[in-house]
Amino acid sequence: MYNGVSIETQKLNKQFGPVHAVRNLTLQVREGSRFGFLGPNGAGKTTTVRILSGLMKPSSGTATVCGLPLASKRNEIKAITGLLPETPGLYSKLSAVEFLEFIGALNGRNGKALNGRIDRLLAILGLESRQDDLLESYSSGMKQKVLIASTILHEPKLVFLDEPTARLDPSASAIVKELIGILAESTGTTFFICTHQTSFAEDVCDQIGIINEGQLVALGPVEELIETSKAKDLENAYLQIVGGKVDREALLAWR
Amino acid sequence: MASKWYSIAKAEYQVSTSSMRKSRTRNMILLLAFGLVWAIFLAPFMIGTITGLILPFEFLQILLVTILPGFMRAVMFFLWMMILIIPLSRALQEIKIGQWEILLSNDVRTRDILIGSFLGKLPIYGLLVLYLAPPFFALFFLAFEVTLIGQILIYLTLFIAVLSTIWLSNLITVAIQAKLGESPRGKDIANGVGILLAIVSIIPMYGIMFFSLQFSAILGLNVFLIFPFTWPADVISWITILFSQIGLTSNHILIFQQTLQFDINISTTLLSLFAAVCIIIGLASADRIFTYNIGARTEQITTIKGENVILRGIRKVASGSFGTLLVTCLKDFFRKASNLSRIAYGIILAIVLPFIMTQMILIVGRDSGGVDMMMVVMISGISMALIGSFAFSGTAFMESKDQLWIIQSTPSGTTRYVKARLIAGFLIALPLCIIPALAITIIITGTLATLGFLLIYGYIIICGAIMFSTGVTALNPYYEDTKSPEHQMNVMVTTMGVEFTILAPIMISLFGDILGLPFWDIIRSIAGSAGMPFAFAIIGMVALLIVGGGALLIGTRRLAQPEV
Ligand SMILES: Nc1ncnc2c1ncn2[C@@H]1O[C@H](COP(=O)(O)OP(=O)(O)OP(=O)(O)O)[C@@H](O)[C@H]1O
Ligand SMILES: [Mg+2]
Repeated sequence: MYNGVSIETQKLNKQFGPVHAVRNLTLQVREGSRFGFLGPNGAGKTTTVRILSGLMKPSSGTATVCGLPLASKRNEIKAITGLLPETPGLYSKLSAVEFLEFIGALNGRNGKALNGRIDRLLAILGLESRQDDLLESYSSGMKQKVLIASTILHEPKLVFLDEPTARLDPSASAIVKELIGILAESTGTTFFICTHQTSFAEDVCDQIGIINEGQLVALGPVEELIETSKAKDLENAYLQIVGGKVDREALLAWR
Repeated sequence: MASKWYSIAKAEYQVSTSSMRKSRTRNMILLLAFGLVWAIFLAPFMIGTITGLILPFEFLQILLVTILPGFMRAVMFFLWMMILIIPLSRALQEIKIGQWEILLSNDVRTRDILIGSFLGKLPIYGLLVLYLAPPFFALFFLAFEVTLIGQILIYLTLFIAVLSTIWLSNLITVAIQAKLGESPRGKDIANGVGILLAIVSIIPMYGIMFFSLQFSAILGLNVFLIFPFTWPADVISWITILFSQIGLTSNHILIFQQTLQFDINISTTLLSLFAAVCIIIGLASADRIFTYNIGARTEQITTIKGENVILRGIRKVASGSFGTLLVTCLKDFFRKASNLSRIAYGIILAIVLPFIMTQMILIVGRDSGGVDMMMVVMISGISMALIGSFAFSGTAFMESKDQLWIIQSTPSGTTRYVKARLIAGFLIALPLCIIPALAITIIITGTLATLGFLLIYGYIIICGAIMFSTGVTALNPYYEDTKSPEHQMNVMVTTMGVEFTILAPIMISLFGDILGLPFWDIIRSIAGSAGMPFAFAIIGMVALLIVGGGALLIGTRRLAQPEV
């Protein structure tokens, strides 16, 4: 159906009044790859994810997601993608199981098979002992885990993760890393991951895109980025590309 | 130590004046200065001119002299409402657990919190009174030609009454917040209680509006004497009379004596006692009866056990993923205390309202004999619409924007979600219409057929109101914040829209009649005289279903659109 390309964008633009959040974004993400999307705060990562997952209309430009044109096949695209939003927006009065059941139902699934998947996912994420507690009593990392589970519940072909590990403890991060790796390998699921943690991106992703002020400033495999910018790791490469020289004078001046 | 209450007062003051934070001090001084000018010169002048235009003053004077005591009590009652109940129910709805933690981590005593938050509230409520009270008083100052000393005494009385009320409201707020903070489900309860309190404060208002005539006939004004707001009102009435220069005879004073019942000494004593007791209770109880504990975070962990019979039944009937959505919506709705108290609100109103209105019908229709079915239709329509609008227009779709993103990111998610919400609403409406239908039937001593009619009519009206409110909320979504302007807007639009739609056919026909358009006659010729009420009921229902359905359709479309 589609030639191994999961996401393809052509000159995507998004403007919020005077703010040009995304500029001429042209991008290809291969099927089954784990694409890391890096960039400073306010660079346009979340906006890109919202556009690609069909939640927001671009100001101009076109894109195909899983071979489907974004402009006309939103619902079909939504059926085969999963989204982890930037901040956890859960139903405080539902339990984890009930919430996941709800998400499954929104994706047209229910019954034994769904419940089995929910139980297994919660067990993997270490939440089974708390799975019937109302989400209002969860810590923010626990909520994040539930949301991660919700994005892969319906076996999507493509998963958007907006800062998946921002609130997770180290071992939970490791679990998520493993989960992403296994899913990508065994089911060919594509991951589009926005993150600020360069080490996480380095471990998990095979492709990296760096966006700055709405513009894609670097694109390629991790090793290639590190090599071409003559850096020792991804963090250094990122700092060189985006420019993040720390000015000690300025840092002390506020005192 | 002394500066702690000061800091709290300052923070409270800054919060309440945050809308003009740029030049706060200058604006407050200007507001105060203008308020004084307003109270002393402008308001009396304005009132004098306006009343002079409307009525000959001599006539007005007679009127004012007769209504003074009752009117004063009403004014004080509204003031009391405003400064006692409003801040209370507001404070409850936004229980500030986060803020407590900050205060607690700084080792603050309850007494500091009490005094600080009281002083912090003073300026803004003081200004409110300074602007609202003078027009009322000016009217009477004019009519009674009250001397300057009398005027000063009256404002002094008002000042004491306001201060003690603010103190009391503040005390109760702090106490309830502290107590609720200890309780594991505090935030939830506070939400519910906050809304219930608003109800409790509204019912006496309806009561006073509709019942005042009967009350005074049956009980005299006696009942009011036990309410603290009566005492300052009576003191003010007395001062007005005693410092009047229009030459009231001892006969006049005797009449006042009879209406007011307590003389000025008793009223003044009661008022002073009330103020003193409030302050003493506050200071004495502050660190004893309730204290802020580090307990604010001990939220209880609620573990969900199996589903109840009804939910399982629904799953049986509606198997498939839509059934799951439906069940989820019901769970979400019923687990929120605020929804429950909103329903209670709707039901209480729907019982109280027909009761009050049928009383009026009975009084009015005593001569014509029998109950006017048209009135019954109108009243039950209004009441049922109130239930539907109150219980559902306040329920937000989601708790945050991200929830909306999650739902939108599923195929046709928003449409299916709205559908599930709607059907959940229809299910909840089933038991809801029974109570008011029964109440109305009993009040008008109707037959079983009446009950049947009211049940069907009521159910359809509630469902129409649910459709309308769901549509409005979808058009103007907001996120679980009952104080957001969107929420206020939605509640208002829904309530007014629904009430107007069901009453529109009757109103249009009546107006048409006046203008010479024969709607009324056409309907009569089709339905017959006896069938008229039912004809209007049916037209009203259909109109509501069309309008509600339209709002729903537009709203759902809009919600499903990707953001531009
Ligand atoms: N709904 C919106 N309305 C107006 N401006 C917006 C909106 N959403 C995003 N923006 C603006 O678009 C720009 C990009 O925002 P975006 O959320 O995409 O950044 P981001 O790369 O995800 O940043 P972060 O790393 O902080 O999450 C910002 O300048 C932001 O202010
Ligand atoms: Mg972001």
